Amino acid sequence: MVVGDLDLASGIWHLASRHGGARVTAETVVFVIFAVVSVAGGLVMIGARNPVYSAMGLLMTMFSMAVFYVLNDAHFVAAVQVIIYAGAVMTLFLFVIMLIGVDRDEDRTEQIPFQRPLALVLGAGFLALVLIAARAAWVTGYGLFSGGEVNGTIENVADELFGTWLIPFQATVLLLTIAAVGTIALAQFAPRARGSAEGSGVSE
Amino acid sequence: MNVDYHALAPEIILGITVLAVLVVDLLRIPKYWTAVIGLVGLFAAFVPVLTLGFCESLDFCTEPETAQRVLFGGSFVVDTFSLVLKGLFLGATAVALLLSVGYIEEDRYWQGEFYFLMLCSALGAVVLASSRDLVTLFVALELVTGPTFLMAGWRKGDPRSNEAALKYFIIGVLSAAILLFGMSLVYGYTGELTFGGIRAATAALGDSALLTIGVILTLLGFAFKVSAVPFHFWTPDTYQGAPIPVTAYLSVVSKTAGFVGLLTLSYQAFAELRDVWGPLLWILAALSMTVGNLIAVRQDDIVRLLGYSSIAQGGFILVPFGAAVAGNVTGDQLEQAFFATVTYLLIYAVMNMGAFAVVIAGANRLKSTLIADWGGLSSYAPGLAGLLALFFASLAGIPPIAGWFAKLVMFSSVLGVDSGWATALAVIAVLNSVVAFYYYAKVIKSAWFDQVPDTIPAAELRGMGRAVAPSLQFALVLTAVGVLVLGIFPNLIADVGDVAKTVAAGF
Repeated sequence: MVVGDLDLASGIWHLASRHGGARVTAETVVFVIFAVVSVAGGLVMIGARNPVYSAMGLLMTMFSMAVFYVLNDAHFVAAVQVIIYAGAVMTLFLFVIMLIGVDRDEDRTEQIPFQRPLALVLGAGFLALVLIAARAAWVTGYGLFSGGEVNGTIENVADELFGTWLIPFQATVLLLTIAAVGTIALAQFAPRARGSAEGSGVSE
Repeated sequence: MNVDYHALAPEIILGITVLAVLVVDLLRIPKYWTAVIGLVGLFAAFVPVLTLGFCESLDFCTEPETAQRVLFGGSFVVDTFSLVLKGLFLGATAVALLLSVGYIEEDRYWQGEFYFLMLCSALGAVVLASSRDLVTLFVALELVTGPTFLMAGWRKGDPRSNEAALKYFIIGVLSAAILLFGMSLVYGYTGELTFGGIRAATAALGDSALLTIGVILTLLGFAFKVSAVPFHFWTPDTYQGAPIPVTAYLSVVSKTAGFVGLLTLSYQAFAELRDVWGPLLWILAALSMTVGNLIAVRQDDIVRLLGYSSIAQGGFILVPFGAAVAGNVTGDQLEQAFFATVTYLLIYAVMNMGAFAVVIAGANRLKSTLIADWGGLSSYAPGLAGLLALFFASLAGIPPIAGWFAKLVMFSSVLGVDSGWATALAVIAVLNSVVAFYYYAKVIKSAWFDQVPDTIPAAELRGMGRAVAPSLQFALVLTAVGVLVLGIFPNLIADVGDVAKTVAAGF
C-alpha cells in the first residue's frame, strides 16, 4: 500500500506530464476529483481553528483514501479504511476533542519565533523531495489498476490471515485482549479494602 | 485446508484455558478456581507434548512422513527441539503459577486477570518454540513480553513496582523496535520470511553490509530480552521491584524465550553467517558473565543478587554460541554447542525457579529480602535453610546437584573447539564460576553459620508465617526433586538434549 502523499503527488505529476497521451477515463476523473478533495481535507485539518473542523477535514482525507483503494480494486482495504479509520478512530478523536472542550480555541502564538517559517521551509523541502523521489524511482509504474493479479480483495486477505498467518493473527488478537484486560486491572484498584472479607474471595 | 490438529494441540488447549480463566473470573466463585483451571490447562497442554514426542510408540498417533511436522508453509515446525522447550515452558509456568497463588492472594490484587496474563505469556512462549519465520517469531515474542510488562507493575501501591514496570516497558519497547528494524532489513535483503528461506537466500546472495547490520540488530533485540550486558540495565531494578513470582517468571520463562529465539535464528536462519553472530555473541557472553558476577558480589539484597546472578547465568548460557567464533568449527561441534545451550536452559529453569521459591518462602516469613536479615535461618527454619543451600549450591555448580552438569556440557562445548578464541572464553567462564561460587556460598554461610540479627525479635520468628502455603510447598518439593534427580542422573536430560540438537544439524 502506497502512502497517500506519495501516491497523490506522483499521480498528479504524471497526469500533468502526460496529459497529452494519457487516456482520460471515468476512473481518472474520479481520481482527480478525490485527489483534490484529499489535499483540501489535509489543508482544512491543519488550518482550521476549531478542532472539530480539523477532525472533519481529516475525515474527508480518509474517505478520499478509501476511494483510491476502491479504484485499485482493493475493496476490502477500502471497507476497512471507512469502518476503522473514518469510523472508529475518528469517533475516538471526537470523543477526546469533546472531553477537552470544543469551545476553547487553540492558542496560536508561537513560543519560538522562527518556528513557523522554519516549518514552512521544511515542509516545502519535503514536498520537493517527495516529488523528486517520485520522479526518480518508479517502482509500480503509473496507471490505475486493471485486471491481472488482485491482492486486496476479501478472499485474498482472508486466505492470508486465516491460512498462512493464522498463528500470528490469533496471537495478535490475544495481544489486544491482554491490553484491554491489563489496562482495566492496572487502572482500577480493587474496591475492597485490604484484609476485609477474608476468605470470601468472591468476584470483585 | 488440511491442518494437523495434533501438532497444534498444546497451543489450542492453552488458548482454551486462557479464555476459560477470563470467563471463570467473572463468575461469583472463589478466585482460586482461576488458578486451578490454569494449572489443569497447563498439565492438559503437556499431554499432547508427550504424545507428539513419543509418537512412534503410540498406536493412535499418525506419524508424519518427515522427521518434523511442518505447518503453515514452514512457519510453524513441531520437532523434538520445540517439544522439549514447550515442556520446559509449560513446567516453569506451572511452578510460577504455584508461586503466585499465595502471593497474589495475600496482596488482594486482581487474581484472575493475573493468571490470565501469565498464561497468555506462556502461550506466547509455547508458540515461540515452534515459530520458524520472522513474523511468527516476533508476534510470539511480543505475546511473551506484553503481559509481563503488566505483571511487573501488579503491586500498584508500591512505587518500586511501578518503577519496575515502567523501566521494563520502555526498554522492552525499545528492544522490540530494534529487533523489528533488524528483521525488516533481513527481510528486505533476502526477500524471505521463513528461516529456511533466509538461509538459502543468504547462501545464494552472499554477504553484504546491509545484511550484517540486519543480523546484528536482530540479535541485539534478543540481547535485551535475555538481559545480556551491556543491555541489562533494566534487569536489577525490574527484578527487585516486580512481585517476586513475576521475577521468577521473568528470569526463567521470558529469558528462555529470548534464548530460544537466539538459538533458532543463529543456527537456522543465520546459519551461513556464523562469522557475524559468533564474535557478537562471544563478546556478549564474556561481558555478561564478568559484569553480572562482579556486581552480584556486592549485593546485599537477595532478589537483586539473583537478578545479577541471572545476568551472569545468561552469560554462561551464551558461552556455547561463542564456540562458533572459530573458523574451523565442524558441524558436530556446532551441534554440541546447541546441545549445551538447550541443556543449560533446562537445568537453569529448574534451579532458578527453586531459588526464587525459597526466596518467596523466606520473604513471607521474615518480611525482608536483605541477606543480613536471613542470618541464622537454619536455627529456626532448618528446612528452608536446607533448600536454600540446595538451590544456591546448584546455581554455583557443585556436584551432585543439577547445576554441575549444565556447567560441564557448557565447558566441553567450547573446549572441544580447537581455537584460541574458544579457549579464551572457557578461561573467562572458569574465572567467573569461581566468583559466582563466592557469592552463592556467602548466602549459604549467612543462613547457616551467622547469628540471628538482633533486629528480628525471637518471638516474631516463632509466630510469624509458620505455615508455608501448600502451593508453595508443592513448588519447593517439585523443584528440589528436579535438581536432585537431574544432578544424580544427568543422562536423563542428556537424552532429551541429544535429540534436540538435530535442529542445528540443518534441516
